[in-house]
Parts: sequence; structure tokens; C-alpha cells
Amino acid sequence: MPSRLLVRTHRVLRSAPVFPLRAGLLQQRSASSTSSGPDIYDVVCVGGGPAGLSLLTGLRANAITAGLRVALIEGQDLQKNRLAKDAPLSSFSNRCSSLTPASVKNLEDIGAWSHANTARIQPYQEMQVWDGVTDARISFDWDSARSGLTPRSPSQSTTIAYMIENINTTTTLLSRLSELGGVDIFSATKVASIELGTDTEQLDLSSWPILTLSNGKTLAARLLVGADGANSPVRSFADIPSRGYDYNRHGVVASLTLSGPGRGGVDHKIAYQRFLPSGPIAMLPLPGNMATLVWSTTPERAAVLKSLSQKDFVAMVNAGFRLSYTDLEYLHTMPSGQEEEIEWRLKHTPVNEQAIPMKVAEVQQGTVASFPLKMRHADTYTGERVALVGDAAHTIHPLAGQGLNQGQGDAASLVRTISQAVQTGQDIGSVLALEAYNSERYAENNAMLGVCDKLHRLYSVESGPIVGLRSLGLRAVNAMGPVKGFFMERAAGGS
Amino acid sequence: MPPTHISNAAFKTLRASSRCSTAAAQRCLYHSYERPASPPFPPAESAILSSALSHVPSYGFTSDALKLGARDAGYLDASTNLLPRGVFDLVSYHLVTQRLALRDSVQFPSHSEQGAGKILGVGAKAIAIMAQPTYVPASFAELARLADEIWFLAGDTSVDTSWYTKRASLSAIYSAAEVFMTQDTSKDFVETEQFFDARLEDAIKVGGFLGSLGEWVSYTGHSAVNVLRSKGVRI
Repeated sequence: MPSRLLVRTHRVLRSAPVFPLRAGLLQQRSASSTSSGPDIYDVVCVGGGPAGLSLLTGLRANAITAGLRVALIEGQDLQKNRLAKDAPLSSFSNRCSSLTPASVKNLEDIGAWSHANTARIQPYQEMQVWDGVTDARISFDWDSARSGLTPRSPSQSTTIAYMIENINTTTTLLSRLSELGGVDIFSATKVASIELGTDTEQLDLSSWPILTLSNGKTLAARLLVGADGANSPVRSFADIPSRGYDYNRHGVVASLTLSGPGRGGVDHKIAYQRFLPSGPIAMLPLPGNMATLVWSTTPERAAVLKSLSQKDFVAMVNAGFRLSYTDLEYLHTMPSGQEEEIEWRLKHTPVNEQAIPMKVAEVQQGTVASFPLKMRHADTYTGERVALVGDAAHTIHPLAGQGLNQGQGDAASLVRTISQAVQTGQDIGSVLALEAYNSERYAENNAMLGVCDKLHRLYSVESGPIVGLRSLGLRAVNAMGPVKGFFMERAAGGS
Repeated sequence: MPPTHISNAAFKTLRASSRCSTAAAQRCLYHSYERPASPPFPPAESAILSSALSHVPSYGFTSDALKLGARDAGYLDASTNLLPRGVFDLVSYHLVTQRLALRDSVQFPSHSEQGAGKILGVGAKAIAIMAQPTYVPASFAELARLADEIWFLAGDTSVDTSWYTKRASLSAIYSAAEVFMTQDTSKDFVETEQFFDARLEDAIKVGGFLGSLGEWVSYTGHSAVNVLRSKGVRI
């Protein structure tokens, strides 16, 4: 296919010398040839989420790929959905993610991290994870993860991950992108249809995806990138099946204000996660006294939680980290009045307050929401002139906070692949050139999806020998520093 | 015996022999919503069996009940010979009519509940008769028809292997509950109902587990192939 294209282009541009197709060349032609034909781009990215924006920023920031003609199509208004510079630190969006050091490094490499609103980002240094049935516990911090023989190196960062609002991530990337310039952004514009082009006298676009936008414009893409979420239209255009299953669980999120900055003070923040049989409940630190909640539970219980008054909801979150699963089961059947009930029950439940998050003081109005949890994985990330990144390629259980990081990893890998193709004069849309991207990311994402899926299954067991075994395993890993260090490195994005 | 009686008897005998052909016609290979199914028993047998059923509470599933039923319906004692399988026909008649009544009670739920309660105490005998080796195939067939009817009325339209597993599991649970019921002395068979619900719940759990296991196995298989493909293996 590439050779045929080259011949075609040669025929069209007989005067121009033949060299591997580059953006500048195409731009000249599309400007000079027909005004009614599709606008030709090298890379068209559908979806302006963290993965899509990271990809475009990476392409623009890389000297080799900076010459490509790129476009971004986003259904929502990107300018409206930006984080205000002076946003108050007393209120946080309920859509937060944890960025691993590897993702942060990637953002640094493409020059975006310096644009981040750091006052709204909270690094955390420790993670406490425990079993809701047996209370078997594991604590993650870099200090306890090294073996007794190796001394602590002062240069090693103590940060496990960074809590950041998704809107902060996208705003950061958008700021960097507008600094770099050169991206045709079609904001608040939807993709009306994607079809293959036609073979005309001047141009053979028969293998090229042609996008028709809601504003009437048509774009031809040498490489169409689907960063358009779990129900990706690009994936359906490419006819790539996506397999997986629904967990029949909902993730309840909320922004919370705690009664203090945390047990470790402002400099040593701790993330907490308790595995209940209905799903894990996690509280992740945000700047100041703020924290964000992710509570995976059954859809019925999620509906109960959302229907509660603010006082009762706060009491339920406190109970979620303190009371037994049996107590919680009962509390979910009450229509209201959880606050008094929990107060009474807590009096009769011995709790080690040092090991669990500080009590929640209040929940930020209007931030209690829920979303269904599912696992999906596309059969492949690449097709003829198509590549998938982020949620379009895979959807993961949020228990390890890896969804956004996987998308960042995809974007970085795809930038490397495209840069390699440009450098060696390949057609960046060809399956051959994209092969490296699929081979680099597929197995890694598949492993992460599998681990999270198995953890979910392991901890949904309420009784029986599995409960004893998993607690034994958790305690064993907790006692073995280097093993724990290995897991932490994997989770941090190192390999 | 006056000639009319003889001819009547002959007619009835012929009808009885033709029962085989009606039974064959019933076993047609299609099922139609529009055409009502032909009655399961010819009129004479129906008359005898239905009146015999009213004697079951006092006489049990016995030949005595059959004879009394024949007398009530205006036939000679000997006409119970129309029923070659004797008391099993009585049991079978009861099961079939109850099964058919199920449809009406589902479609017109106002109908008062009747059936099992009336023959309380003789159920064990009925099961004993059904378990006689000669009648086992027929008993199983009736059980299968009942399970099919229940799933049909429940709106099941599955066309995969679950069609079989659903019917098999319901049949198993139903027969277990039936055995339980023969020993159940609680009021209105509350315990039987509890037993039945518990077994159904078990089956749903196991079914859900098997279903998700299948889903998981299929996903894992596909992802293994996909990982190999991503690494350049041509599969």
C-alpha cells in the first residue's frame, strides 16, 4: 500500500521530488488541489481526554513528529471544561485519578508537568490496604519495601503516586498544547460519520478513513487515533471487537472534607483501601483536609448511598472503614437514620484509629455520583490506518487506580512508534508501522487488567478457605520487603 | 347384557385402542400457539378418571378409587379396563390436569388454588407408583413436560444449551421438593415452599457462577490469543 501511495503521489505531484510523505508536502497539495475534497491530515485524534491530549502533545513536542499535520476532534467544549487558575482549594472535582511516577515522568518529558496546577495535586507516600473480613493488612511505602541489607538511598523519591483531578490533567495538557501550537482543534464538534475514502483521478483515498464532522467539514486521516472512550466510534469503524464483562458493581465517588490533614500530617499523606466483599472502599488524599472517595459496591447499594442525606452519607463512609461487613450490610437496608445507628455501633466496635483514615467531617455538595464498573479489552489496538489508545482500547477495574496511567503509557508508546515510522520513512498509518505499538502495549495492559480482575474476584469471597489463604498471602508479602518492592515498582509503572 | 351395552363397550374398547393414535398425534413435532392441544385423555377415560380423583382423598391412588369413579360416571366396574395402566393412569391424569391447570392459573391468577392439598397424605403412594420400573419412563416424560410448561409460562425463549440445563435443573429441584412434600406436615406446606425456594436459589447461584466462569474462560482464551498476536505470532 505505501508504495502504491508513493507512486500515486508522484503522479499527482510530478514536479515535486519523490521523498517519503511528509506533512508539509501534503499540506501544499491539499491546499492547492481541490477545495471541495477532504482536508488531509497525518494524524486525526478523536477524543480530547487525558490519553488523546497526551498523544498530541507528545507528537508536537517531539522534534521528529512535530512536522506532522495533526487535528483533534472533541465533542465537548474544551475551553469551557478548563480548570480555573484561581479555583478555590476548598472544593475539588469528584473525578480524580492517581498518576504514577512513570506517567508524571512522561508528562515531564513532553513539557506538560510544569503547566500543572500543583497546588491542587497531592502526592502520597504511603498506602494502607486491608481485608475487610479478616483485617489482614499490608502497608506500602518505599521505606519498608527495601530489603534490610540495602541502605535507603536519599535520592529515591518517597512518592507512591500523585492524586490529581482529571480536569487538572486535561487543562495541563491543553496549556502545553496551546504553547506548542500547530494542532487544528475542532472543539465542541462531534464526528458525524467515519467512512473509507474513494479512489479518484487525483488521489487514492480508498484505504483512508474520511471523517465527516457535525460542522460539515470532512477530514482524511493518514492515521486515525481513537481516544474516544469505552464506547469508541473509531473502534466500531475499524471493526475491532472488544471483549470483557460487567462486574455488576458501581463505583460511588465523592469529594470529602476530613477532620484533619491526615495521620501523617501534610508531608506524609496516606491512601487507604479496605477490601469489602462487595468491593473495595478507598479514600485518597487531596491537598489540605480534602480527600476523594471511591467505593465500589453493588448497584443497589450504590443507589442507597446516593439517596442518603449528607449526614447519613458521611456516617456511612466512616462506617465503611470501621464497621464489620455484617454491620454494613444491615446499614444499607435502612432508608435513613444511619448516623445515630452508626454512632451507637461504633461505641461497641474496637477500632485502631491510627490505622484507618481520619473521620470524614462533611461531603462536598453535589459530588456524590456513581458509574458502572466493567472490564473490556479490544482484540487489537491497531488496524489499517487506525490506532486505539486509553479507554477505547481497555477499561479496567479502578481498584489499583491504573486506568489513566495505562492511557498515558499508550500515548507515549504510540508517539514513539509514530516517530520511529517517520524516521524510517514508513507510512505512519500502515499496520506494519503500527505493529510495534500493539506489541509494546498489549501484553502489558493485559497483565494489568488480569491482576485487577483477579484481585476483585479474590476479595469478593466472604468466607471459606480462600479468605484464610488470601490473608496469609497478604501478611507474607507485607513481611517480605523486596517482594513488596517488586509489586510497588510494577504499580508505579516501572518495569 | 343388552346389545346396546355390548356395542357401547365395543365402541369404548375401540376408542381405547385408538388412544394410541391420539397419543401419537399429540406427540407431534411442532407446537402451535394458535391451535389448542387436543385433550390428553379421551372423554370416557376422562369421565372415569375425574370422578375417581374425587375418591382419592379417602381411598388413595388405588383401584378402589378407580372403580368408584367408574360407577359415579355411570360405567361398569369392568370399564376400568379401559385404563391398561390402572392406578398409574389415575396418577398420570392428576399430573396432566394439574399441569394444564397451571397455565390457566398463571393466565387467570384469580382462580382459587386447588390440587395438592386435597390429596394430602397419599402423595407418597403416588410417587411410589410412579417409581415402579414400568412407569418410570412415563413419569419422567411427564416431569419433563411439566418443567417445559413452567419455563414456557415463565417466558423463557432460550435457544441455546441452557434450554436443556434449565429444564433439567428445574426437574431435579421439582422432584426433590415433591419428595420433601410427602413428609411435610407444616401448614399449607410452608416448609416445602421454603425448601423449594432455597433449592432454586442454589441453582441460580450455581448457574450464575457457571455462566460467569464460561464468560471468564472465553475472555481469557481470547486474550491469550490476542497477546500472542500482538507479539507477531500468526494465529
